[in-house]
Amino acid sequence: MSKPVILCVDDEAVILESLKAQLRKALGSSYVYEVAQDAEEALDIIDELNEDDVSILLIVSDWLMPGMKGDEFMIRVHQKFPNIVKILLTGQADQKAIDRAYAAANLHKCLFKPWSEKELIETVKSGLEKL
Amino acid sequence: MNDMVLNADEPANILVVDDTLANLQLLVGILTKHGYKVRPAKDGVQALSATQIIPVDLILLDINMPEMDGYEVCTKLKSDPKTRHIPVIFISALNDVLDKVKAFGVGGVDYVTKPFQVEEVLARVETHLALQRLQNNLQLKNTELAQTNQELANTLNRLQATQEELIQSEKMAALGQLIAGIAHEVNTPLGAIRSSVSNISKYLEEIFEDLPRFVDTLSAKEIQLILKIALCSINNKQLFSAKDSRKIKRAVTRELEEMGVPDADTIADTLSDMKISEDIESFLPILTHPDSTRMLEFAYNLSGLQRGTNTIETAVERASKVVFALKSYAHSDQKNELFKTNLIVGIDTILTLYQNSIKHGVEVVQNYAEIPLIYCYPDELNQVWTNLIHNAIQAMDNKGMLTIDVTQERGFAKISITDSGKGIPEEIKDRIFEPFFTTKPPGEGSGLGLDIVRKIVKKHLGEIEVTSVPGKTTFTVYLSMNLQPDSSS
Repeated sequence: MSKPVILCVDDEAVILESLKAQLRKALGSSYVYEVAQDAEEALDIIDELNEDDVSILLIVSDWLMPGMKGDEFMIRVHQKFPNIVKILLTGQADQKAIDRAYAAANLHKCLFKPWSEKELIETVKSGLEKL
Repeated sequence: MNDMVLNADEPANILVVDDTLANLQLLVGILTKHGYKVRPAKDGVQALSATQIIPVDLILLDINMPEMDGYEVCTKLKSDPKTRHIPVIFISALNDVLDKVKAFGVGGVDYVTKPFQVEEVLARVETHLALQRLQNNLQLKNTELAQTNQELANTLNRLQATQEELIQSEKMAALGQLIAGIAHEVNTPLGAIRSSVSNISKYLEEIFEDLPRFVDTLSAKEIQLILKIALCSINNKQLFSAKDSRKIKRAVTRELEEMGVPDADTIADTLSDMKISEDIESFLPILTHPDSTRMLEFAYNLSGLQRGTNTIETAVERASKVVFALKSYAHSDQKNELFKTNLIVGIDTILTLYQNSIKHGVEVVQNYAEIPLIYCYPDELNQVWTNLIHNAIQAMDNKGMLTIDVTQERGFAKISITDSGKGIPEEIKDRIFEPFFTTKPPGEGSGLGLDIVRKIVKKHLGEIEVTSVPGKTTFTVYLSMNLQPDSSS
């Protein structure tokens, strides 16, 4: 059985790189860390992995991205994969969008940029524990 | 008495001055019969004191009088500001030498010669009374006019002050709207910086942990190889998209599996994060070493120090750009000085402010020709670009294509801003530059934007034009490239 996946989604390369490095350091090699630069790409990756029978445990995603926004993305994911832990990591609070994500996508938590490593890792761990 | 209005309804006051009682009585009789209020005076002294006490609208003045003749009385009347305005008609006897020059010279307005015709006297009296009435009215009207002018001047000043307030509040309102988007634009770099700092800290921690052990247990060659891997990562500045990185990762995984490296996919992932995709065979000794995980991680940590600093540098630049753009925009433009400016930098600065809206679905195309620096009012031009770009993005509902073209034409810098929105209807196209004209609901925009834009463009001796069809609306701004600052500096 292959290792489960944690997926990071953000249109900003600087965020994606440093976020993945942070998660990788904190959570170690029990997980595979995948990245996508927008929601469409992320959905493609999710489908691919699903076809290969790889399980996705958790997604950390930005809200403001070109094309599909983070809340819509999370809702779509939830419809197909309700068990994936979903965390929003956003630089700008569109409160209505965040509320939608909580309601329709069972969002685990919404964190704000700049985030503290402690808060991020605690949130991820608490989310993974729910599984 | 000067401000007395000779009302046509009120009978006029006439002073008759003659030393001959019979003449006096005759004239008083004629005039009284005709409806005038008449006062007699038998000499100059009486006449002068009368004018000080009672209202007098016209004086009939005998010339030939003892002690003070008519000319002297008239001169005295004209030298007193209180009585200067009263029209004086001289009465002269037929056999008197009437010095007409002197009569008009001392300020008389007319004369009658005795024996006079009643009709003639009445006609002249009425004429001069009418004249006086008109002059008084004119003076009143002039005073009113002067007052009205002053009020208008005051109102104009207030309007100008109000307009400036409106311009300022328009700017602040637009600024307020931008700030929400800017928070995101600054928080993102901050997020990258913070997490990079945390990562660098972790890397250093582990480097200090691992280094003594490696120095003890590894050969010099092995340590050198680890350093080589780290250097390889640091030197590889190629940027791949996430998609391409995944493809490369799959290829590397296969390669590693073929070389018999355990845990191929994890190692491929680490190498991918280190941007290493070639020459992997040379790293085999490390990758197949029992302590391979820690050794590769050491190389990852070392090179991670560089990756982290690069990220921080990029992020700081991004944040600085946004703050600079904000500062430029909010900067008070009271200097009103011509400044040699790079127009394109100015436009791009404003675009930075709108990154947020642009990310929502606007594609930006920039066609910039090389144009020289020009003297202009850069703060005011910022308002122009802000206004036009803001309008363009709004017109497209934040989705579509924004094209900015910069060229030069016949001594003018030519800047075109095109949006793919639904366009401006023909009927209102001529009105959009009117102050206070807006198609937005009340409370959403003062309608001053394009008026202000046009004023600023004109200040640059330029023009602004608009063409519009549904799907393509273009505002073109021409700015003179020949403005020069005062040569007195």
